[in-house]
Amino acid sequence: MLEMLNYPFMQRAFIAGLMIAVLASISGSFIVLRRYSLLSETLAHVSLVGVAVGLLFGMSPLWIAVLASLVASWLIEYLRSTHGMYSDSVLAIFLSGSLALAIVIVSLAGSFNASLFSYLFGSILSVSTQDLWVMGIFGSLAMALLIAFFKELYFIAFDEDVARAGGIRVTLLNFMLVSVIAVIIALSIRVVGTLLIGALMVIPPVAAIRFGMGFYPTTLLSVAIALLSVIIGLSASYLFSLPSGAAIVLCLLVIFILALVINRR
Amino acid sequence: MKFSPSLFEVNNLNFERQGNLVLKNSTFKILPGEYCAIIGPNGGGKTTLVRLLLGLEKPTSGEIKLFGIPQKRFRDWNRIGYVPQRSALVDGSFPATVREVVGMGRYARRGIFGFESHEDKAAIVEAMELMGVSDLSDRLIGNLSGGQRQRVMIARALASAPDVLIVDEPNTGVDVESQHRFYELLRTLNKTKKLSILFITHDVGVIAEDITRLLFVNQSVLVSQNPGEMLRCDEMSRLYGTPAHLVSHNH
Repeated sequence: MLEMLNYPFMQRAFIAGLMIAVLASISGSFIVLRRYSLLSETLAHVSLVGVAVGLLFGMSPLWIAVLASLVASWLIEYLRSTHGMYSDSVLAIFLSGSLALAIVIVSLAGSFNASLFSYLFGSILSVSTQDLWVMGIFGSLAMALLIAFFKELYFIAFDEDVARAGGIRVTLLNFMLVSVIAVIIALSIRVVGTLLIGALMVIPPVAAIRFGMGFYPTTLLSVAIALLSVIIGLSASYLFSLPSGAAIVLCLLVIFILALVINRR
Repeated sequence: MKFSPSLFEVNNLNFERQGNLVLKNSTFKILPGEYCAIIGPNGGGKTTLVRLLLGLEKPTSGEIKLFGIPQKRFRDWNRIGYVPQRSALVDGSFPATVREVVGMGRYARRGIFGFESHEDKAAIVEAMELMGVSDLSDRLIGNLSGGQRQRVMIARALASAPDVLIVDEPNTGVDVESQHRFYELLRTLNKTKKLSILFITHDVGVIAEDITRLLFVNQSVLVSQNPGEMLRCDEMSRLYGTPAHLVSHNH
């Protein structure tokens, strides 16, 4: 089975997948604790608009997806924090709106094709060396920000008002977090796909929380769950010719069910 | 004589929310070392007043000074410990141990990438010991009783080594026995640690003793440095607009 690692495309898929697993599970912990899980799903649909625009105009879908996702994340946070709109309502508007827009653009471009299918569900064949560079640069930046402000983001997730009263720059950090999540989601679409990345962000922390530990061990367990799922999912994708995103998410679901069974309360 | 600025100095404070006047022309001072209670009817603006002091709401007009510094220029927020309303009502599954929650009190002092220093660790241990929650250190906050959670939240506020502690409606979600212990604790902190304390309460009966200043908030702020006088039943009846009977909790 290990001979799959001799193939450059599998090496690239594993590097990208493991990087995304760490980033998605850490950032996902914060959105899960803030009951903001739908954010990942929404931004994933918005990045699909970026992919569609990229395919339509022959530009890099990854770059356009990053841009679209970033702009949408700022708009969502602005509407939520400044206009006092309910988070789930704002997310629902963006989610359905962006999906509709993506479908219209794809229809204008011609038809749903294999290229789009790989963006929807992920493909181990689709990660290029250039993609890895983009992921490396933006992923490192996202990771540095998450580590730098890890404790502040944790405090905000626990009690936003007290964090603000304590002098923590909550508004700025909220915008930073949604921006980082937007970038991570856009980077993930090659491996996991736009329709499934939400699961990689949400399921690992939700499963880890079931073990009833403090935040730091919970986050470490969440990262471990995401890494394990990516390794098994990518291997299954290679062995059984499955879409990589679907294989990873099914793996996550099995781990989540195990976590539920082990920690029955 | 050494000049000691007020902890809070509020001048002609007005606050409107969606066109409705919540607080008008409020002017008062709170001095270092005070044990100050805020009382008033529901919806009178008590919590809003505290949120204005903490910079969580912006005044429509007027001036707030913290430690003698205009609020807009004030940066030493860790000098103010804050325990909000309903803080004891924590999400049961939130992954946070008591040690982690108390440690949050030091975050603002640690800075970006800042690891816990020996000073941070010592402050956390001291705050947990002071509040009697050291033996709960590794327990999840969601698994504690209301009274225990309340003590953890105060330990978090104390860990930042504040000059003043602001507590909003401390009795929400807490049993009566824990309420008594809580007020005794506040008095002890004020007397032994010289910690200034400002707390909102509905329970007028338990605050009759020891209060150095009483703020009655009902759209405007009425200040009394003779709390005993204001807490008389006839005066309370007049302020609340309904017959009041003072029930002492001294047991």
